[in-house]
Amino acid sequence: MTTNFADSATGLVLALPKGRILKELAPFLARAGIIPAPDFTDEDSRRLRFPTNDAALDVVRVRPFDVATFVAHGAAQIGVCGADVLMEYDTDQIYAPLDLGIGRCRVSVAEQVVTAGREDWRAWSRIAVATKYPNIARRHFAARGIQAEVVHLNGAMELAPSLGLSRVIVDLVQTGSTLKANGLVETEVIAHVTSRLIVNRTALKTRPEEITAFVDRFRAAMDQSA
Amino acid sequence: MNDAFSPPPGLLPAGLMDVLPPAAEREAALVEALMEGFARHGYERVKPPLLEFEDGLLAGSGAAVSEQIFRLMDPVSQRMMGLRADTTPQVSRIAATRLGAQPRPLRLCYEGPVLRVRGSELAPARQLAQAGIELIGGAAPEADAEVALVAAEALARVGVTGITLDITLPRMAQTLLEAAGLEDAVARRLIRALDRKDAAAVATLAQNAGPVAALLPPLLAAAGPAEGALAVLRSLDLPVAARAIAENAALVIAAIAARAPSLRVTLDPVEFRGFRYHVGVAFTIYGPGATGEMARGGRYQSANDEPATGMTLYPGAVLRAAPRPASRPRCFLPIGTAPAVGEGLRRQGFATIAALSAADAPAALRCSHVWDGTAPVPVTEESSV
Repeated sequence: MTTNFADSATGLVLALPKGRILKELAPFLARAGIIPAPDFTDEDSRRLRFPTNDAALDVVRVRPFDVATFVAHGAAQIGVCGADVLMEYDTDQIYAPLDLGIGRCRVSVAEQVVTAGREDWRAWSRIAVATKYPNIARRHFAARGIQAEVVHLNGAMELAPSLGLSRVIVDLVQTGSTLKANGLVETEVIAHVTSRLIVNRTALKTRPEEITAFVDRFRAAMDQSA
Repeated sequence: MNDAFSPPPGLLPAGLMDVLPPAAEREAALVEALMEGFARHGYERVKPPLLEFEDGLLAGSGAAVSEQIFRLMDPVSQRMMGLRADTTPQVSRIAATRLGAQPRPLRLCYEGPVLRVRGSELAPARQLAQAGIELIGGAAPEADAEVALVAAEALARVGVTGITLDITLPRMAQTLLEAAGLEDAVARRLIRALDRKDAAAVATLAQNAGPVAALLPPLLAAAGPAEGALAVLRSLDLPVAARAIAENAALVIAAIAARAPSLRVTLDPVEFRGFRYHVGVAFTIYGPGATGEMARGGRYQSANDEPATGMTLYPGAVLRAAPRPASRPRCFLPIGTAPAVGEGLRRQGFATIAALSAADAPAALRCSHVWDGTAPVPVTEESSV
């Protein structure tokens, strides 16, 4: 295999999230003139790091939360991740200069249809919450004087209330059909979420021209699609 | 014994470490070289204690690290003491009290460890080395330029090249928001958007929010090489208070450029991240490549509201960017070697490893040379058998 990766000292690494957002992102990348190696969009490919048509740019494909981790540590200088990830992974090392307007969804509280609206939440001291967003859940409930007892799950949150794991869930909701199929109802929207272009703080400070040029390319790609 | 209660003997509390040879020696030499860089510009060394009454550590800029201070009760005075999480408040205290009568400006430097309650995922260490300078009682832009340049020069002296000096104006965003007279909710959202450099959100929020708010998007976009950013600042119709901040920044940058024209300087006018207690200009020095932050500083109010400016270098970060010095050669002295031989070798820069028993072998003791009776000869594969 003759893959020449961008030099880690001079090149840039763009971290992209696997799954949902990646599909919406593909036409976007094309408009921004970023063409990753062909197997990039192949979810079965074992490769994690891919060269692009730009010799100084590589892309890596990681889990959405890990995009923030890679960029915060400077392992990738640029990334794309949902605002939900940024809310959860709160760090001062990431800037989010561009709202890409894709991956539209919301972080919401949901509970079983049978319990929804039955009690006055003001009487609660604590509440059991199943979520993959422990920080968002704690902050949200703390703001109304309720301690969130978080059950940290990585998936299938929708099962938690009916199986007695928690009273409510805090999760990403796109259409609400998964909630409905599991007898849950969205009771509160914590935040509306879109995908953001994120950059590492040190990279922006020390390589402002390159990074700004990159952000501009994405912005131009957005304007084309608008 | 329950295993759960007897951790392995090498395990230290999170964020603490033993520094071993040769790193410990390298770090000490680096700190001394940085301190020498400060001393040659007239910065005199002070050495505050590691531990003092909590109030002393919390004064002024210390409030920013309040939640990071390890506290313990002094059984003698029955007062709360703290382990310093930053040295600047201590130097402020010294300047205001014991050195209060000394003419200003006062130039002081210090080095030593600081401790903090919590590390982060990105910076897990709970004990950090600091080496810094404080210039107390100087309000001129030249004072800010001086501390930045002395720090940059100290880094150059230890072989760190390709640094970037990033200048921020922590009060600019707040000053503009106050002048814009926005409602609290909008101001809060703008602050958050500015903090994240979310240009789209800043543009949306600033739209229809008046002429002062309309300055924010171009100021956000201005971040970058200092010349370009200053040109943007000059071209905008800033309110009086913001204009004063911009003009001061221009003077500081001009003073830096005059003395160090090759130093790469960037300016980010509306950034305030991480500089809650700074007034005027704030500095961050980034190392070459991805080595990250090696120093922070800027203008602050010292004790008794004295104007002050300073810079703190992080030797741990500097060490990662500094070239490795050649390690000291180690010469093995067989039993019976005359004392004068050892003295001569040490004068040439060797560390001498004197054999204490016949069992001592040069290779096992990591010696690079052996005294063969007339000269130090390099240890070879055969001689190490």
